[in-house]
Amino acid sequence: MKKTVLDYALKVRLPVTVFVILLSFTLTFFISRPERDGIGYAPVQPIKFSHKLHAGMMKIDCQYCHTGVEKGRFATVPTASICMNCHSIARKDKPEIIKLAGYFNSGKAIPWKRVHRVPDYAYFNHSVHVNKGIDCKNCHGDVARMEVVSQVHSFTMGSCLNCHRNAHQKMPELARQIKNGPDNCNACHR
Amino acid sequence: MNSKEKNKRFWLSLDDLKNSLSFAKAKENEFAEGMTDNFNPEDMPSHSRRKFLALAGASAAFAATACTNYRDKGEIIPYNKKPDDLTIGTASYYASTCTGCSNGCGILIKTREGRPIKIDGNPDHPVNKGKICAAGQANILNLYDPERLKEPHSGANGKFKFDNWKNIDNKINVALNNASANNKEIAIITHSVLSPTQKKLFDDFKIKYPTTKIYSYELFDDRTRQSAWKQCYGESEFPVINWGDANVILSLESDILGKEGNFVEQIRLFAAKRNVDDAKNFNRLYVAEGGMSLTGMNSDHRLRIKPDAQFEFVMCLLNEILNVRKAGTISFGPLAKSKIEQYLLNEFAQKEKLSMSVLNSLVNDLISNKGKSIIYAGDILAEKVHVAVNLLNEVFGNNTLYNKERSSVKHLDLSANEEIEQLIGSMYSGNVGVVIHFDTNPVYHFAPDYGYSTALNKVPVVVTMCEHENETSLKSHFALPVHHNFESWGDFQTRTGLYSLQQPVIAPLYNTRQKESVLLHWLSGSVENYSEDGYHQYLMKNWEQYIYPQLSVASDFRTFWFAALNDGVVNYKSVVQGIGLFNYNKIENLIYSYWQPAYQHGKSNFTSPVISVVTAESDASKKSEFSESLGLVLMLTGNYTIGDGRFANNGWLQELPHPVSKVTWDNYAAISLNTSKQLNVKIGDNVDINANGKKMTIPVMIQPGMADNLVSIELGYGRKSAGTVGSNVGFDGIQFLSKKNSSAKLLKDFTLSKGSGKYKFASTQEHHAINEPEVMDYHKKRHIVQEGTVAAFIKNPDFFRESKPKAEDISIMNRVQYKGTKWAMAIDLNKCVGCGICVTACNVENNVPVVGKDQVMVGREMHWIRIDRYYSDSPVEPETSNQPILCMHCDDAPCENVCPVVATNHSPDGLNQMVYNRCVGTRYCSNNCPYKVRRFNFYNFRNHFEDGYYHKDSLSLMHNPEVTVRSRGVMEKCTFCVQRIMEARQEAIKNGVPLKGTDVKTACQEACPADAITFGDAHEKDSQIDYIRNHKLGYHVLEELNIKPNVTYIARLRNKATEVKS
Repeated sequence: MKKTVLDYALKVRLPVTVFVILLSFTLTFFISRPERDGIGYAPVQPIKFSHKLHAGMMKIDCQYCHTGVEKGRFATVPTASICMNCHSIARKDKPEIIKLAGYFNSGKAIPWKRVHRVPDYAYFNHSVHVNKGIDCKNCHGDVARMEVVSQVHSFTMGSCLNCHRNAHQKMPELARQIKNGPDNCNACHR
Repeated sequence: MNSKEKNKRFWLSLDDLKNSLSFAKAKENEFAEGMTDNFNPEDMPSHSRRKFLALAGASAAFAATACTNYRDKGEIIPYNKKPDDLTIGTASYYASTCTGCSNGCGILIKTREGRPIKIDGNPDHPVNKGKICAAGQANILNLYDPERLKEPHSGANGKFKFDNWKNIDNKINVALNNASANNKEIAIITHSVLSPTQKKLFDDFKIKYPTTKIYSYELFDDRTRQSAWKQCYGESEFPVINWGDANVILSLESDILGKEGNFVEQIRLFAAKRNVDDAKNFNRLYVAEGGMSLTGMNSDHRLRIKPDAQFEFVMCLLNEILNVRKAGTISFGPLAKSKIEQYLLNEFAQKEKLSMSVLNSLVNDLISNKGKSIIYAGDILAEKVHVAVNLLNEVFGNNTLYNKERSSVKHLDLSANEEIEQLIGSMYSGNVGVVIHFDTNPVYHFAPDYGYSTALNKVPVVVTMCEHENETSLKSHFALPVHHNFESWGDFQTRTGLYSLQQPVIAPLYNTRQKESVLLHWLSGSVENYSEDGYHQYLMKNWEQYIYPQLSVASDFRTFWFAALNDGVVNYKSVVQGIGLFNYNKIENLIYSYWQPAYQHGKSNFTSPVISVVTAESDASKKSEFSESLGLVLMLTGNYTIGDGRFANNGWLQELPHPVSKVTWDNYAAISLNTSKQLNVKIGDNVDINANGKKMTIPVMIQPGMADNLVSIELGYGRKSAGTVGSNVGFDGIQFLSKKNSSAKLLKDFTLSKGSGKYKFASTQEHHAINEPEVMDYHKKRHIVQEGTVAAFIKNPDFFRESKPKAEDISIMNRVQYKGTKWAMAIDLNKCVGCGICVTACNVENNVPVVGKDQVMVGREMHWIRIDRYYSDSPVEPETSNQPILCMHCDDAPCENVCPVVATNHSPDGLNQMVYNRCVGTRYCSNNCPYKVRRFNFYNFRNHFEDGYYHKDSLSLMHNPEVTVRSRGVMEKCTFCVQRIMEARQEAIKNGVPLKGTDVKTACQEACPADAITFGDAHEKDSQIDYIRNHKLGYHVLEELNIKPNVTYIARLRNKATEVKS
């Protein structure tokens, strides 16, 4: 039988092309995955605030600044006035503090870059987690050691459920206090 | 339940009753015919779904393969300095007062991050006790309405340009000074004055500009009631009625549960006496009316009486009681007696074709409940009816139900027709220098024969303060934008013993000023230094100087003031010493004078009016015509949703189905079935009405239960310049009003004839109807509405259970055993009056969009809760039943099994969850829902309605941030307010206590003025919901389907008089 161009295209070119496309897709999919999930994202902030210094070395409690964390859905980023509680006296001469005071005095809000984000259709609630005794670290990593905050864990639905379904493995220290989290849709979506 | 009751047939419309083929078909189908027609994706504004999917697929592939850098996640902008009492993500509540009508109800405004998002009643307010009407609920949409007047305008002849406040203040100051210098009148036209401080402001204004005159008017007023009280008791202020103590209520053409008086309070007090656990003490509601009202729908016995026969009816009752039964304690002089004696109840019954057994039981009930019954006449009725009713109440000693401490308060009399006429006269003669419309719209509201609109042309300076452009502002020289209710300060006194306060909850959204502030600023005489805080200071000063000292409070003023603002209300011991004495002598003379010489015993007046109709179907020129001699009456009545037209631009209210006819976005001429036959018209046919020299073509609605020879039109519709939403919606009946007639809303001098053409209503009546076929097998018959009588229940409390068909508990599915919390709802049909407040509350809470008339017509309304209205018995005198239907969150929900993508499924706490971002829009679930409660977003309705009217920026501030704003292509339905459940759960976890069922209140439950809705955890022992679920009168709709719905209904008991044979 005579080999036609079509045969060649179907038997050789097509499988090779499909293989190459699939391989490159699969490779890039897995290699770029953390990046797509935002892991390692550490944007440059308008003020070079160091969690390592404040939360780590000076051991200021997270809730001193993130006041909403046990009251409602949002942990809240501190207002400039909270910073100024100390910095109206402390380190007034440092360039970053001068920048801060500039924002505060002009009444402008500080445009902090967002690091962690769940989509709008997921109604994550900080207070129910924190009030159950779950440490911030479980999702946000060891912020107290970060000079610049970056995302450590993935914030996908899969990661939420991973913990909700295996709470005792993930947080053995709370094994006696908490049960698995809800895994029904309405727990987050409404 | 006897066999007759069991076989009672419920019907939704006349088509249904006649078993019309098209309607039978419509009932069987999930989607109304045409609902999915003409749905061409190509016509849609942006990309089609197919195109979108292609693009989404392509972009996903690119995104997955391309090694881009991290996606930017935006910014978080915290406050610079956070207000102390604000926690982000947590709601704050402020007490205030609603200014939507003259009831002045206390409201509680929920704000999130400084934005008002939900209105409910103020629970501390002694009148409305935490409840508010539909307009009050939907008022939030007026605040964010994109068409609010945002800047001051000046101009003439309807042509306006932006101007600034300073310029305008300057010009008006000059005009005011000129007017008072030249002795020209300054007329301020306001609605009824409810605020003592506003009254003081007007007085101060009068001092500064002595030629000022204040005129006040309402489209729907109670002037006849006031004047009757003045005749009877010497004072025109009338007391509040203790409805909750009345065993028997006779309502005469008054919609006490729908639109008259403070109906929110009246519903609550009425429903409180409808407690099935206290069935012996049920009140009994008799309604004698011509139109079919919400009150009539809820009556135990209804008498069809035309409004013009009401006086006769009351006099017949008086005669029956005083002279026939000899049950009264008073006796009249021979002169009056001789007249009263001629009013014979049995002849009246014959004439009006009323059931004598109902009338007898009414008289018996009134006699046996002396001092515990109330007879109440509607605002629309003439003064003499009110006088006769007051007399009748005195005869029965029912004045015990008048609240001695709370009576109506008048800060300023409503202007008489003559005063308005005088004003217009001086406008024509050039004696009026300035007219200030104080957030009023007289060009629309005044009877056309005043000629107000033309008179305005003669006035050199016309100022209109308004929230929206309206008919009057277009005739003005200055249109000044004023603050909304929620941006204003104020105080109100609607009853003795009570003040309520109004405070702003958001900074003004636009360049507006509070209307009182504007006057105050003109009062200061200088145009400089306008202070936004001016009226606030004025208010506080007035309170400190005049009101606070009278209250004899122990705390200092500032403490008192902030406490009062916090509570929203100030109660004080009323100094009013009850009501005056009933002036029998005067009333006796009055009754004598009311007697019509034409009224003669047994004479022609008593024969029923013969209506000779020229039925000329073939001859169009010879139209059938009725006239006065045939006893036809035109009744111009209030509407249920949009007030006096001021809420016309509010889509939520326009789309709220009429509680009786279920028509949206329209009004109509309602007539009875018999009259329609005589006139040879069908629903939607146009008729021509000629009255007071005005002609109108309006479609008819054949309303079961209407009195014959009566035409009823609701006012407030047909506005010409109300905005994109409200203009030209419905028909303007105000043009039939006349200045000459004090009770102008009942017209006899008019003609009615069949017109040409047909009109299409957008009615939700036949949409989502539940199939109730007349099946042969009795036990399979679907008992959707189940009712009984109080007598039967008292006799045998188990009668209902015994009569219920037993369903076999079989299922093809594995039954899930629910442990822990399981959410459930119960609706008490004894209490539900069908007002529709729950529907509006749900709309606001759950971001339900407005779809527009064209979409309602094809059955795409989005309401998550609807109130089905069923008629039973004859279409001439039907009984009505209301039934709110929402998602039942069935344990074995049929919708869940058919979703190909599991977008709807069950939560462990018994909720039927709907996941929007998983839904692909197959609509299988809706197809499989026996209750027809699922709603599909055929469009992004916010974008679709009026070219994105509800997609504008200001509207996004209004949405509840805890609920997703759904877009095109997804299914949605009632969630049992899962956001509120989650909030309660959050609080429970915060406080370390278990979540209780009573911690959660759904939006509909919170809003229901009758407290008909109970919500909670069905597994909580001894809870209210657990009790109701096992109640002897409890049932589920479509129980036999065995899908285990979780909304329990308590069957309605009608409190029929035993002597009335059904």
